[in-house]
Amino acid sequence: MNEIKVALAGQPNCGKSTIFNLVSGIEQHIANYPGVTVDKKTGFFKYDGNKIEMVDLPGTYSFSSYSLEERVAKDFIIDEKPDVIVNVIDASNIKRNLYLTFQLLEIGIPVIVVLNMMDVAERRGIKIDSKKISKMLNCPVVEASGAKGIGGEDIMKNIVATTQDKDKYEDFKINYEELEPHIAKLEEKIVDTKMSQSKRWLAIKILEGDAPIINRLKDEYPDLEEFSKVQENSFHEKYDKDTVSFLASYRYESSDIIYHKAIKEEQTGKETLTDKVDKIILNRFLAIPILIFFMFMVYQISIVWGYKLTDYTWPILAAFKNFVIDILPAADFIDVPMITDLGIWLVNSGNALMNYLPIFFLLFALIAIMEDVGYMPRMAFILDRVFRRFGLHGQSTLPLVLGGAMVGGCAVPGVMSTKGIADDRARMATILSVPYMNCLAKVPFYTLILGAFFKPDMAIMMFFISTITLFVAMIVAKIITTTVLKTRETAPFLMELPPYHMPTIKGVILRASQRVWLYIKKVVTIVLAVAVVLFAMLQFPGLSEESQAKYDADGKKALVAFDKKAQKSKYYEEVDTKEEVSALLNYYDGYKAKRMTTTTKEGAKSVDADFLALNGSYFKFIKPKKDKEARKINKILRKLSKQRKRILRNMKNEKIENSLLGMAGRSIEPLTQFAGFDWKINVAFLSSFAARESAVATLGSLYENNKADSMRAEEAMAQNSGYTPIHATAIIIFMLLTPPCIATMIVVKMQTNSYKWMMFAIFFPVFLGITLASFVFTLGSSLGWSGVEAMTYFYFTIVSIALAIGFLPNKNINWRGGMKTKSILNKGEKE
Amino acid sequence: MNAQVKTLAILSNGQKAKIKKLNTNGKLLHKLLDMGFVNNAQIEVIREAPLFDPMELKILNYHITVRKSEAELIEVEEV
Repeated sequence: MNEIKVALAGQPNCGKSTIFNLVSGIEQHIANYPGVTVDKKTGFFKYDGNKIEMVDLPGTYSFSSYSLEERVAKDFIIDEKPDVIVNVIDASNIKRNLYLTFQLLEIGIPVIVVLNMMDVAERRGIKIDSKKISKMLNCPVVEASGAKGIGGEDIMKNIVATTQDKDKYEDFKINYEELEPHIAKLEEKIVDTKMSQSKRWLAIKILEGDAPIINRLKDEYPDLEEFSKVQENSFHEKYDKDTVSFLASYRYESSDIIYHKAIKEEQTGKETLTDKVDKIILNRFLAIPILIFFMFMVYQISIVWGYKLTDYTWPILAAFKNFVIDILPAADFIDVPMITDLGIWLVNSGNALMNYLPIFFLLFALIAIMEDVGYMPRMAFILDRVFRRFGLHGQSTLPLVLGGAMVGGCAVPGVMSTKGIADDRARMATILSVPYMNCLAKVPFYTLILGAFFKPDMAIMMFFISTITLFVAMIVAKIITTTVLKTRETAPFLMELPPYHMPTIKGVILRASQRVWLYIKKVVTIVLAVAVVLFAMLQFPGLSEESQAKYDADGKKALVAFDKKAQKSKYYEEVDTKEEVSALLNYYDGYKAKRMTTTTKEGAKSVDADFLALNGSYFKFIKPKKDKEARKINKILRKLSKQRKRILRNMKNEKIENSLLGMAGRSIEPLTQFAGFDWKINVAFLSSFAARESAVATLGSLYENNKADSMRAEEAMAQNSGYTPIHATAIIIFMLLTPPCIATMIVVKMQTNSYKWMMFAIFFPVFLGITLASFVFTLGSSLGWSGVEAMTYFYFTIVSIALAIGFLPNKNINWRGGMKTKSILNKGEKE
Repeated sequence: MNAQVKTLAILSNGQKAKIKKLNTNGKLLHKLLDMGFVNNAQIEVIREAPLFDPMELKILNYHITVRKSEAELIEVEEV
């Protein structure tokens, strides 16, 4: 069987991915190109007895190497040596698309041109003579419409035919006239290179100053750059043209020739639908309200409705948790097997993340729709001026919104959606500032603290908390773009505003599912690994022998008390051994747990039925109804259950206190005391690293202490912690800035492709958080501020700094050139 | 010779012009050339962004955005 390697190339917005989906079907593999974060999509299919592997190259306008995508595409062509290049062309925008085609043809690999979106072109009155183009370019030309599913068969046929006729292939040549002698000289120079590509192509690329190719050839010809410079200079002297502009102009002229000979446009200048829509979408007064509306809708649909959707998916996860608890060994009164503890801990950590899947799926689908429709670049166009001030890019809007610019969001999809930002520095800055946005999972934590310390001022505090994050993110973006990211590559803001397109349902669902799957694969697995480590750090070294003996004694006492009372019941026989009591207690707690997760009457009935079936004689103790004797047992059973919970909680707290994590929390106390944090808060922050939700659980359990169960966590915290509201403000400030959860860290690693930046994304916020919290706490306590006062001052300071950066003139000029003063003069001279 | 040098940045909405010279080099020059900003190419200013910068242009039958700081480097001749 023949194996054929195909590269799919084309300019952005030419509908390349629809063609890719059309041809390669469902069997796709997505990874990153080695070393960079550009998607590498590979599709596999069979046609006519041939095994075809198709790689979807990143969309590029040109085949030089001035952007990451171009470099990746070129490296692929050079290193992987595909048999055929399939070049997708937007039929309604032929002139610019042919510019790339000429560059591809020159490489020396057979090219198949696919005229995509023929239907759109037809609608616009563009008549294309594809046979003529085929003749002029001497390569097969296929008419297609990816969105309508037309042309797939033809493309495959041509791929096979082209590889079969390989020996008939003749190198494609453009006659560059006055540049020819110089090309010839370079060709001569590199005549016996080891590189297998067309010498002519290499020569042209050298004259264009193509760094990756020059670097490859430098080993063989150390003086290549100087040699090429001499050629360029002599060309410049003779014709007063530089080679780069000359080659570009020449290729554009060539595509112009094809355009004039093979294409007839009937309605040039007529307003398209896109033009009409843009008159509204990009209208000076309407653009921003419309953008806010769209962002609001994205937020509403994905975060708000998606959150409601989790009401339906949560029972599935809860059922899974109950299932795991069922199969794990049961507790023997206060002896809970470690494997059971670990199992529950892992399920909890996994569930906390899986719970967000509906939200993520909706978000990714909406992003895919906006990408396909063509709204993304327009959004960047509208807001670029604002974001540029802070070192960001117009395209940073969406990641920030997803991260939680409005009330709350999640940094994971926020960071994942930074992929398309063309400017590398702005992209990095966006990745690193999105985690400061308001994370949804932090809300329970804030509610706990506010409920404990800011009862009367909850509303204003919540307002501060939810609106401050955007300003913080902006300041951070400005700080890092002017410092650590200063030397990063920036890109000119030359961005196409493509015509609007209807997205295909298949494409949107495929993309959303692929991204969700990526999340599950990368994030959930690593979070589970970290959860195991955290678990170990919370368990070891465990309780001392005396403590264990003390708790054992407590447990025995509770059992004896139970036994004494149970003797008065006629059912004593059923509960007169420890094993029986323990089993009954587990039965009782299990029933309570299952009933908690059911909300409907039918659900409750089925739980009743299940437990009746499980153990008929125990059931009467749980639902004694009119059975007086059983009710006695029920009463003392409830008491015993409470006592057991209390003992277990005390054991857990003592374990945490002595654990490695507890020690860590304690050992950083000297540092965190300036912010007013004691070791308990430190432990809560440390454990919240796995998933935010666990901060509340840890704090809750640490402060519950020996108080009765009816007391709520916030009350317990307010009473038992010894904190004042100013402590609480410091805690909130730290939480606002603290490191994102591990899931976010993993996507930061994925998007920056560097552990170094991941570490930066962890430690910079911690540093910032502890510094600011200490500052506010120390200042606040010495000046006697109340918690709300401290928060208010902090809030307005941050907002003022952000506004100052936004409005003060900035010196961040990316491009230097000679025309600046002239053009200002010019303006003055104008009549 | 015409002493008056016009740049793309000072054109207003709806104005058409021809590209005369790109006063830049390196990455920006490459990118401009790749996007079709070659000598004598026709461009039309479509609109400014709601906040007055960047601007939207039409060139070679497609639409592109350019920041004013970059448009200042592009010499044009009105048609």
